[in-house]
Amino acid sequence: MRRFLALAGAFALAAAVNAQQAPPAAPPAPPAPRAAAPIDLTGSWVSIVNEDWRWRMLTPPKGDYASVPLNGAGRGEADKWTPAMDGRCEAYGAGALMRMPTRVRISWQDDNTLKIETDAGTQTRLLHFNANAPSASERSLQGYSVARWEYAGGPIGGGRGGRGGTPPPLPKFGTLRVVTTNLTGGWLRKNGVPYSENATVTENFDRFKSPSGDEWFVVTTAVNDPKYLQQEFVTSSHFKKEADGSKWSPATCKS
Amino acid sequence: MQIMKTLFFALAVVAFGVRPASAQIDLSGIWAPIMHEDALERVPGPEIGDYAGLPITAEARSRALTWDASLLTIPEHQCQPHPSTYGFRGVGNLRIWVDQDPQTQQMITLHTQIQWMDQHRKIYMDGRPHPADYEPHTWQGFSTGRWEGDTLVVTTTHLKAGWIRRNGLPLSDKATMEDRFIRHGDLLTHISMVSDPYYTSEPVVKTNGFRLALNGRLDPYPCESVVEVPRPKGAVPSHLPGTNDAIQEFAALHNMPAEAAAGGADTALPEFAAKMKTMKIPAKKP
Repeated sequence: MRRFLALAGAFALAAAVNAQQAPPAAPPAPPAPRAAAPIDLTGSWVSIVNEDWRWRMLTPPKGDYASVPLNGAGRGEADKWTPAMDGRCEAYGAGALMRMPTRVRISWQDDNTLKIETDAGTQTRLLHFNANAPSASERSLQGYSVARWEYAGGPIGGGRGGRGGTPPPLPKFGTLRVVTTNLTGGWLRKNGVPYSENATVTENFDRFKSPSGDEWFVVTTAVNDPKYLQQEFVTSSHFKKEADGSKWSPATCKS
Repeated sequence: MQIMKTLFFALAVVAFGVRPASAQIDLSGIWAPIMHEDALERVPGPEIGDYAGLPITAEARSRALTWDASLLTIPEHQCQPHPSTYGFRGVGNLRIWVDQDPQTQQMITLHTQIQWMDQHRKIYMDGRPHPADYEPHTWQGFSTGRWEGDTLVVTTTHLKAGWIRRNGLPLSDKATMEDRFIRHGDLLTHISMVSDPYYTSEPVVKTNGFRLALNGRLDPYPCESVVEVPRPKGAVPSHLPGTNDAIQEFAALHNMPAEAAAGGADTALPEFAAKMKTMKIPAKKP
């Protein structure tokens, strides 16, 4: 009996050691950005121009760069604008597109790419998750946008579900953070107030519901440009959700 | 062994027991307003007759046209602070601090204070209800807050009659506001949605930014009214209905139709830009 107990104990010990040495189960792959979205920005939205009305709904006169922290080079560049240049596509670049009076359509192009289309200027922006900006030689009006979700209460993963436990549900709240580089440069206002090809545009998109039940998002946009700005230029623009895209009215810009 | 157990328990309490709710974010500190939006309205002040883009009612427009800027010179008006519906777009640093229960670490009250005219607002975070309608109305109103994720959402009632824009656009004492504070690193985005059953047809939505100012400060703001302009007793600067053409003057000055300057919800929509091309622009006065 003593021998049997010793054998059983040895087997049990071997099994325990084996279990400890077995490779741990691979953690589940993180969900794709589309599935991991803490907020849903897709749909049709319209900008509500309650702010800076005169600088957004009208083309301001030449030299009106009030409240934009231009440096001397920036003012010099702005002063090259003429009314004949009104309507050019430089006004619809990533640095100022979301400040335009416009409707936007937001959809997933694929699981890693969020697409923003505007009817003002007929522009398309692609926000790339899990990506790095390509070399600086590839520049465009909308540049290259790298996106990530920022979850309320911190990042998901990191063992919050506990060993062997069910992962916690994805947070209901969060922000879409987008950093855009590789720009050709453009205008912060329709009257040629410039940002350069060196600019970086950082945006935070936050969605919420109003007391009346309407859905809104606000995008806070910070433009950094060492060439034409003395300091970061920060604006925040609000959009209200529409039931459908029936009011979509594309208007091209002059290239 | 007993010592080890006690130590383990204490560590567990420190690690898990006193953590604030995960949905909260620290908003405390001094925040400097970023004046890159509506700057000319917020610093020198709005132009008279400029209501463009604001979802106001005809009643609001009529009252605004009775307003005269000299009203600000009479003693009763000199020390009026902005109502909380407007103050966050004014000048002066914003300070935010929190009262927490020292035992439970629960947030009881969040305070905001803006330097100009010492606008101090208390936002109750302890779930208390709003008072009855007949309770006093104040410039800052009665505010309660809650968290939606990392966003502080505040509901304000019991406001004194104030203004949508400080060029006479009125706000009644029935107005309410829901505002949101969203922190992105050193940037704070403040969103306000103000609704008034008399003077707005849709919420007036304003968003603006603050930047964390590690060396920022708030100075005292005492205010004492004086007689700036001698007037007969009871005289109040104003315009009688039908006698003020400020909308036309403003529109002419900025080369826009009077319908745009007059405001209304439709003037805030993108399609209004195309409509304006069919509208007449008033002539400038010589």
